[in-house]
Amino acid sequence: MAVNAIDRTRRLLSLVTYLRDRPGARVDEVARAFGVTSDELISDLQVLPMCGTSFRGGDLLDIDTDGERIWWYNAEAVGDDSGRPLRLAADEATALLVAARAVATLPGLRDSDRDALLRATAKLEAAAGETAAASSRLSVTFESEGGVFADIDRAIAERRRVRIRYYSPGRDQLTDREIDPIRLFAVGHTYVEAWCRRSEARRTFRLDRVTSIEVLDTPAEPPPVEPRDLSAGLVQPAAGDPQVVIEVGPAGRWVAEYYPHDTAEELADGGLRITLRTADPTTLRRLALRLGGDGRIVSPPALADSAREAAREALAAYGG
Amino acid sequence: MAIAKAERLMNLALCLRGASRPLSKRELRGSIEAYIEAGGEEAFNRMFERDKDDLRELGMVIETVESLDGDTGYIARPDSNRLPPLSLDPAEAAALGLAAKVWQQVRLAGAAGAALQKLRAGGMPETADAEAPFSALEPRIPAGEASFEPLMIACRDRRPVLFEYRKANAARSTPRVVEPWALECWRGHWYLAGWDRGRDDQRVFRLSRITGKVRSRGGDFTAPVPDRVTVRESVAAWAGEHATGQARIRLRTGSGYPLRARATSLVEGSDGWDELELPHGHGLGAWLAEFGPDLVVLEPAELRADVVDRLRAVAKG
Repeated sequence: MAVNAIDRTRRLLSLVTYLRDRPGARVDEVARAFGVTSDELISDLQVLPMCGTSFRGGDLLDIDTDGERIWWYNAEAVGDDSGRPLRLAADEATALLVAARAVATLPGLRDSDRDALLRATAKLEAAAGETAAASSRLSVTFESEGGVFADIDRAIAERRRVRIRYYSPGRDQLTDREIDPIRLFAVGHTYVEAWCRRSEARRTFRLDRVTSIEVLDTPAEPPPVEPRDLSAGLVQPAAGDPQVVIEVGPAGRWVAEYYPHDTAEELADGGLRITLRTADPTTLRRLALRLGGDGRIVSPPALADSAREAAREALAAYGG
Repeated sequence: MAIAKAERLMNLALCLRGASRPLSKRELRGSIEAYIEAGGEEAFNRMFERDKDDLRELGMVIETVESLDGDTGYIARPDSNRLPPLSLDPAEAAALGLAAKVWQQVRLAGAAGAALQKLRAGGMPETADAEAPFSALEPRIPAGEASFEPLMIACRDRRPVLFEYRKANAARSTPRVVEPWALECWRGHWYLAGWDRGRDDQRVFRLSRITGKVRSRGGDFTAPVPDRVTVRESVAAWAGEHATGQARIRLRTGSGYPLRARATSLVEGSDGWDELELPHGHGLGAWLAEFGPDLVVLEPAELRADVVDRLRAVAKG
């Protein structure tokens, strides 16, 4: 993350308060509390001795570190008020309150966790006062299946295997599988990342597509895998996945919003030419049927053929 | 550069918070090294104004006091600047720790982290990750759209904005002047609700359809802001979540699970096909077409025609 002067000032101000109450604080502990590396903290500690209420006659902060502990020899220099943390800024209150409220609405969350979130939110609202008002202008809802969520949560806590029936929309198919859940995450919808015993691979399942679930007595034994990095997006096609080209008219532009793609070129009619990669292109036949006249598969030709074929077969039932 | 500025802001903050009486601009200029070196009066004034704005952004309340001799004084009074005492137990601290990790948007992620730093400096217990609750849960709020941050600030400050917007089925974008009320994230997508001045009505905009930059407009809101802004309900209606009637379909046995889950009635047939009744709302035709030869629409007639049209277009293509 880029270090700008405002963020740094924010941290320095809190650091002054924090250090004032904790003489001889350990560098590694302070760094952890502030979510920075020890090196970043040391560099902050080099700025602080340049700061102070110099209008009183040169009272700079006499803060020093040997790399392990931090010492402050004139904590009285900042006056009592700087010893209390600064009130929350509007964005700070908003960021915490909106996120805490959103998580608290997750169906299936453990009651004790939900209670802790609601208590913390109420205390924070009281402390933020009118600063909290702007937080109502931002809101987030996570969607989840409460029962499935609670079962997966319990299975993870107790390290147990789970049997699920799962709906794959791409194939319009229900499958039964046993999975060893690794973690739950929510990005709009809620998902479980798990080791799938059926495919012997890591898979991500959306909870609202789990149609039935049973927590087994068998212990979960997922092989050690690095959790997926979600910052790059939920769907991350592999470099070797087959390429699909789709052309859509103006009414089909939503495809670019819903499907992660490599490129989307503007077309003269206001449409798009979208190039994407997917492990199993046959699942896009459904997209072609949904689009109707609003778009068509350009390649691979076999996929375009199978969509045409499916449409003809379907039309037969309507008498032509 | 970032260090020099942070140092200057720190000094100004410590002076204003430590003062027992309002300090004049002259006094401040004389005690902060960077201001002494600022050069001309005008350069100093510009710098000073910007610095005060920056400190306000951090949450500081700086009061301006006129003195008897016409001088302006500045002070950050303790009672308006202190974080009130708030005692959080370890479970509550862990809850806020989780909340702070939820934002993927840089500005809010930074703000959430900064709030935690203030709370920790104020004595909030630190929780070791291993013993924290929520250990297996990772909620994430995406906000990849460039329009998110300027709109968030405009909603906060109640400032009108101007942007180019392309509706879902429009070939071109059109300029919109909007009084922004609230942003809401639903199913992973961000929406803005506000007063559209050009259309003289309230509207919901999807952030991913805003093209180009969001510009602020001067002036105040002209339309009243409703007490409760309901983005989700408008979007849900548009997405066909609200039924306007019933549809009857035939579905091949074993297929179309999500349709079965929504069905209000289901009669299993012996010919390999089942008959279902479904709530019928906006967008159902497109969804039913996806099932291709596994589904036949019986009624209503307009839904049947919609699906047939889509299939014909694909068959020809």
